[in-house]
Amino acid sequence: MDPIFIGRVTRCSTRGYVGALRAPDPELPVFGGFCKAGAQQGKSYVIGVIYNISIEDDELTRQMAATEKPVDEELADQQFLRQVPVEYSVLSIGYQSNDRFIYSLPPQPPLSLASIQVMSSDEILNFTKHLDFIPLILSADNLPADDLLAACLRNAASTRHGPEQTAFLIDAGRTCARLLSNDLNRLDHVLRNLKTEAMRKT
Amino acid sequence: MSEEYILDEFFGPRPSDTPLGIVVGGSLSSGLDVKVDSHLSIEKLAVGRYVVIEGRSGRRFFGLITDISLGSTNPDLSRRPPDTQDPFIAEIYNGEVAFGMIHISPMLVIDQSGGEPRPIKTIPSHFSPVIEATAQDVANVFGEEDEIHFFVGTPLEMEGVQVNLDLSRFVERSSGVFGKSGTGKSFITRTLLAGIIKSSIASSLIFDMHNDYGWMVRDEGGREFKGLRQLFTDGRVSVVTLDEETSRARKSKIDRVLKIGYEQIEPEDVEMLAGLLGLSDVQVGALYYLRRRLGRRWIAKLLEEEEATDELQDLLQDGRIIAGTLGAIQRKFEFFRRMGFLVPGEGDDALDDIFNRLRMGISVVLEFGRYGDTLAAYVLVANYLTRRIHNRYVRMKNQAAGGKADEPKPLVIVIEEAHKFLDPSIAGHTIFGNIARELRKYNVTLLIVDQRPSGIDDEVMSQIGSRVTCLLDNEADIRAVFSGVSGANALREVLARLDTRQQALILGHAVPMPVVVRTRDYDEGFYAAIGLSEGDALRDKAKDSSNTLFGE
Repeated sequence: MDPIFIGRVTRCSTRGYVGALRAPDPELPVFGGFCKAGAQQGKSYVIGVIYNISIEDDELTRQMAATEKPVDEELADQQFLRQVPVEYSVLSIGYQSNDRFIYSLPPQPPLSLASIQVMSSDEILNFTKHLDFIPLILSADNLPADDLLAACLRNAASTRHGPEQTAFLIDAGRTCARLLSNDLNRLDHVLRNLKTEAMRKT
Repeated sequence: MSEEYILDEFFGPRPSDTPLGIVVGGSLSSGLDVKVDSHLSIEKLAVGRYVVIEGRSGRRFFGLITDISLGSTNPDLSRRPPDTQDPFIAEIYNGEVAFGMIHISPMLVIDQSGGEPRPIKTIPSHFSPVIEATAQDVANVFGEEDEIHFFVGTPLEMEGVQVNLDLSRFVERSSGVFGKSGTGKSFITRTLLAGIIKSSIASSLIFDMHNDYGWMVRDEGGREFKGLRQLFTDGRVSVVTLDEETSRARKSKIDRVLKIGYEQIEPEDVEMLAGLLGLSDVQVGALYYLRRRLGRRWIAKLLEEEEATDELQDLLQDGRIIAGTLGAIQRKFEFFRRMGFLVPGEGDDALDDIFNRLRMGISVVLEFGRYGDTLAAYVLVANYLTRRIHNRYVRMKNQAAGGKADEPKPLVIVIEEAHKFLDPSIAGHTIFGNIARELRKYNVTLLIVDQRPSGIDDEVMSQIGSRVTCLLDNEADIRAVFSGVSGANALREVLARLDTRQQALILGHAVPMPVVVRTRDYDEGFYAAIGLSEGDALRDKAKDSSNTLFGE
């Protein structure tokens, strides 16, 4: 299966990058999703989790918002064919080099306009076999780290099934507990959000 | 490849090989703190279990779980516990933020090259894995049963592993069996004595207050158990009684009756009764004076068995003793009349007879019959015999040192209600205090059986080599049992949690490390192990003997 393209890098730094695309798919990109972008001229891929999906306004959108009955064609044009892209921020949580995953910040960020791809289920499963990326999320400033962590772990759990899924969540929960043991309120919040829909029902 | 190894490979490591946790702190003096593995339930652990700690240098440390506690990484957790209704959250908190801790007293170390376990002088480094000791580990520490190593019981939850007591070390110093009444002290004592007698390592003189040792005894449920005289039918045990009537009524086989003549009693024998008879210091002082003035027949004269009114009047006129004191002593001496084993006159040669038996390696059980309920009688007789026998041992030992006699056979004197003899106010100058303090100098040691060790003089307690302790719950008694034992604090918890029956903590000179045992059953299996043959076995043995003698 070809990798799914979700836009290009517009701004980047070691800590993360910003991707942009014309119009979002209902499923992509999503908060807490895993993605990767090539760096070091193809030698490595910077792996990150998506947070803060934003859409900037412009004069025309503001005017149309004030229109009482916008024409459907114009609305669709503004939503799907607009020149101002949808932007999303990605937090770097590791990189892939020589088919190995390394759970620390990448040596170099991707270049601008590098293509960003969604990680496949298998890639997510392999990357999340180790949970050493959790500290990188928890230590990030100025972003909803706790919700992001819970969302990305839930995302990783969805690549597993049955008892394996529960075992993964418990393992991840324990890692969070170890890292957040000095702040029980935060820990409680993460753990509550960690539960999958199925677990909530039971 | 051994079969065991193949199985291990197939099934994975045995459960006991999976670590209980890792060492996270502690010290040699206060013991080690171990964080319990998050996958393990703390409820499956128990104090008194053995563990092996695999040190980083290849040494294996052997220790005992002495305490179990609940820990948390965040002190706020106790004030703000998580929602435990949610199994997912509870599972994550358990073992990570909230976890179990065990406290371990390290006891022995086994070097990487193997060999004998040695007392510990260092501790394992941080994060060394702690595993539950296997039966083999425990068996290695306590060695094999042989002539001087006597099987006393099995460690808790380790059926099939033997804890063997080094009897030569057990009799080398004074020892004690302690425990609340009804916890099986006399059963354990009888088991230990059977071991000592079987090994012929020492002879024993047992002051049997409640007729527990010589002949058949019944437990609280009415079951009958054999006494030492029945276990050793070859004459290695003699029963001497003070109360022939009771012994006959119990159908106890007796070897002789002990009678003590008034003339054999010395003031020193009576002095120990001062507390029990209510003799004041002045009255005790007067006893020595009376003995000097009245001669060997002093007791008979004071009891007015003999015409001595004039002599007594003379004493009063001398002014060395006042009428009140004399009258009080005479009144209190009426006690002697009630004791049937005290007879007017010179008495017989019972003392020589008992001494000779002991010297030949025959153990003597002195049954008190109905006099066992009279503490004064018990104290008087125990003191009377022990003083004289000890004197003879001292003489023999000195002669042996000069090359004029054989070394006397080690003697173990068993006394019950020992706190009456070793009370701090009198222990300093009684024969029992001396024996306890002088250790094995004269080959005589004590085996103290007591339910109130706090009543025993500290100095004496600190000299007790081996202690076998059943359940004790009085704080003072527990403290007393551990006096003079290094690292004892940790063992208190273990002691306070023993079962009321058939469980004992053994510590001291005779075992390589403190051990909680379920004591050996005192039943047919034990009788057979001691060498008693009954029924078919006895017939076979007789047939064997006759075949050996007369040919088949």
